[in-house]
Amino acid sequence: MRAEPRGTDGSLLASLPWTLGALAVSLAPHVPYLPVWITVAFLSCAVWRYAIEKRRRLLPSPWVRGGLALVCFLGVFGTYSAISGVGPGSALLAIMAALKLLETRRRRDLFVLLFISIFLVMSSLLREQYLWSLPYLIFATLIIVTAWLRMSAGESETTRQSFRTGTRLLLYAAPLAIAMWIFFPRLASPFWAVPIDTSRATSGLSDTMSPGDISSLSMSNEVAFRVKFEGDIPESKDRYWRGLVMTRFNGRTWSGSEPRIAARPEQQISFKGDAIRYEVTLEPTMQQWIFALEMPREISLRRTHMGPEQQLFHVIPIEQRIAYEVVSHTDFAVQAELPRAFRGWYTNLPESGNQRTVELARTMREAAGSDPAYINAVLAKFHDEEFFYTLQPPALGSNPVDRFLFETRQGFCEHYASAFAFMMRSAGIPSRVVLGYQGGEVNPLGGHLIVRQSDAHAWTEVWLERYGWYRLDPTAAVAPERIDYGVQGAALDGIAASWGFTASSQFLQQVTMTWDAMNAKWNDWILGYGPDTQSSLMEWLGMEDPDWRKMLLTLVVIVIGLILLISAVMMLRYRVPPKDTAAILYARFVRKTKLKISVGETAQEFAERVANSKSLSESDIDAVTDAYHDARYGQDGDTALSRLQSAVTAVK
Amino acid sequence: MSSILWQYPSRLIGGVRDQATLRVRRWALKRQGTDSGTTRLRPGRVYILPTGVGLLFGLMAFAMLLGSMNYNNNLSFVLTFLLIGVGFVAMHQCQRNLVGLELTFAGTEPVFAGQSMRFRIAITNQSKSARYGIRIYHDKSESDVQDLQPGESKVFILPVPTLRRGWVQLDRFGIRTLFPFELFRSWAWLHMDLRGLVYPQPSEDAPQPPPSRVAHGHRQHDARGEEDFAGLRKYHAGDSPRHVAWKAYARSGQLLSKQFAGADTSSQWFDLAELPIPDLEERLSILTRWVVSADQTREDYGLRIPGEEFPPAHGDAQRRQCLEALALFDGGDP
Repeated sequence: MRAEPRGTDGSLLASLPWTLGALAVSLAPHVPYLPVWITVAFLSCAVWRYAIEKRRRLLPSPWVRGGLALVCFLGVFGTYSAISGVGPGSALLAIMAALKLLETRRRRDLFVLLFISIFLVMSSLLREQYLWSLPYLIFATLIIVTAWLRMSAGESETTRQSFRTGTRLLLYAAPLAIAMWIFFPRLASPFWAVPIDTSRATSGLSDTMSPGDISSLSMSNEVAFRVKFEGDIPESKDRYWRGLVMTRFNGRTWSGSEPRIAARPEQQISFKGDAIRYEVTLEPTMQQWIFALEMPREISLRRTHMGPEQQLFHVIPIEQRIAYEVVSHTDFAVQAELPRAFRGWYTNLPESGNQRTVELARTMREAAGSDPAYINAVLAKFHDEEFFYTLQPPALGSNPVDRFLFETRQGFCEHYASAFAFMMRSAGIPSRVVLGYQGGEVNPLGGHLIVRQSDAHAWTEVWLERYGWYRLDPTAAVAPERIDYGVQGAALDGIAASWGFTASSQFLQQVTMTWDAMNAKWNDWILGYGPDTQSSLMEWLGMEDPDWRKMLLTLVVIVIGLILLISAVMMLRYRVPPKDTAAILYARFVRKTKLKISVGETAQEFAERVANSKSLSESDIDAVTDAYHDARYGQDGDTALSRLQSAVTAVK
Repeated sequence: MSSILWQYPSRLIGGVRDQATLRVRRWALKRQGTDSGTTRLRPGRVYILPTGVGLLFGLMAFAMLLGSMNYNNNLSFVLTFLLIGVGFVAMHQCQRNLVGLELTFAGTEPVFAGQSMRFRIAITNQSKSARYGIRIYHDKSESDVQDLQPGESKVFILPVPTLRRGWVQLDRFGIRTLFPFELFRSWAWLHMDLRGLVYPQPSEDAPQPPPSRVAHGHRQHDARGEEDFAGLRKYHAGDSPRHVAWKAYARSGQLLSKQFAGADTSSQWFDLAELPIPDLEERLSILTRWVVSADQTREDYGLRIPGEEFPPAHGDAQRRQCLEALALFDGGDP
């Protein structure tokens, strides 16, 4: 194998900074998600490469590059268990860009780097689509386009010119892009299963609940979902957003929330009161749970089922933002009969552990006499005794319920729900834990409700003879303000607090609300533009029965029209200005002579030839020729032009 | 190993490609006709095709489209369509980068066979937009890449290798650009009357030229030559006895000839027929060497080839006449 030359001659010095800039811009959104060493590796390779070019040094030898490549790829495989998905994909792209830089000698290699940066931008969009992602992608495209122009620019083309050319190209391309974006038919279902970034923790609720492991309540202000109500927004105490239901407890952890279709499909739920209609826009959770106000009656989302514990789930995990309409009744009763076999299921407890609580429960049950009295006693205990609601509870040991009830007495919803359900089961009352969200914040600007991850909540349901399943929220007994005013009211002061400000900061509240309203619109109009929205837009535009064929045809027609328009604009910009007036007038004279002027023939020679042909009077010919000469070569061109004009007109 | 495997298909593909090229050239010539000395590029004759990078870009855009459809990701749709749009615009810009340019043949200088004939083409940009990355080409030879600012005119030099003496006729040449992104190559073919003269290659191992003779018949020369005495030099056989410095001979016993300013004392005749070498090209090559050397030392020389005779003289006109005659002797076609 012939060794590749490794010398640099500084020929890339003009374009390399732009290429590096394009790579940096496209890598930037990945940085928080990538292991730090990849960013460091990329930056050092970029600086190293630039120094090599600047000082006309040699590129690293193939052995060094090979070694680095091996180390980096092993590093990526070590960091990520799988190599598909956005996380490992962008890591690989970043590493490839860094390594490719070290062997970039010719202009042609820069193409590869620019292709890589385009893919990096694309993968960052797959990862997250915020409101600023659109300006970001336009900015990144502009930088990439300019870098591309710099790469193939000649010496006389300045950076400023390249930037202007790039901007103009993007401006021309924008209407095309918008037309294609609107009319390109959207698919209802993907071609193949898509592995979305698994490195990202699921932002929703976890499938298990272990109160006391580590304080795990999400204080994240990330939006879980937004809700638009058709009528008034229900009161905070009625806004229980049901998610998953956990039925198994092993002494530490509640689990058993696998989504499964009910053995008995008919849910014996009776709905009372007024129906509440609303639309939920759910952020991707990577989980199957569908959240709805207790208790949902109808849902517009297809492939969604209600499990035996009245939990809603979708057959596949929610990987993209979805919107669905729900009809719920906050006044309802679940009148399920509970056969003996199932009763055991809901009262099952581990045989040992948390013995003090078991004994306390039995004593209290005997003292109370009846199940409802016992329940009231337990709630009263939580309310009257010194229990504290805090988001930073101490860790609990091996008997978490005992330790919580008798020692620490500090906790949040999970602790109270878990302890309450445990006490119910100890007394033989069927009970289960429900995880979901409670409350939410009303955005006065958008008129919608924002439910954040920090609104996550756990509560319990007990089964009572004749009543069926009945919701009991022990947290309400401890900290009623949690239920009435949300987590913000109970613990901290909302979004503003997370920014380090207090609730009195009205202005900030305004800003955050405006931002949220913009995000909601952004989600509705841009990110949520899917098959359904598209076909209603097409109908609004006057297309009958929109299908993908019609849309594609419209797309083609519009794109062709726009291209013709762009072509016309370009033609105008690049046109050669018409010849001078003298030449036009003289051409008219030539036509009148009915002779053809031959190549290289001067006006004087032509005049002689015309005179010889005797078709025109010699004075006319001389007048035209003189005026023409004066107009072209004389001092006073303007008067000569008018003379030429009259002379040409005079020719019969 | 690779050469055995690859030679055959490349030759096969090469043959097909040559055939296709030939046909396209013939079609273009028929379509456009021959061009005059100054030609402005009309849109209809500027052709455009994607480059390798362009095809790769298209492939990438398609992959991105599939990805966006699959993830149903509206922002990556935006990115994809923006890039596709840029591709469309780049296509038009690439073509417009050539349209309206005015090309003029600005002559060429004769060269010796084996050197590159440098055809000069002046290109004028009369529009109000700058034109970038323009180059002209013919087969494998191409000019430098230059930019043309609005109203600017630049000379592009197209070096064409020459092998033998005579006229070099460039039936066609091309002008092309890869601007803006090298995604597309647009080009135009021009069929101008470009000709350049190639002198025979000066022989590397030419024998000594025949000895100079005094040209008695040239009275004018002698008459003027005796006016300004310039100095003495060693006597050569053939010097006129009238020029011998007899006084100096009497003094020193050394034969010296008087030198006169303005007189070329050693005018030579180069005669094609006198060279005892059978190959005509070799003889022409030797004569060329003699002419070039004589011209460099500024001696008078004459050239005699069948049908033409150039009396002894020196200077650029003499050199050009003689070399032209040698280049075009016998039809200029070796």
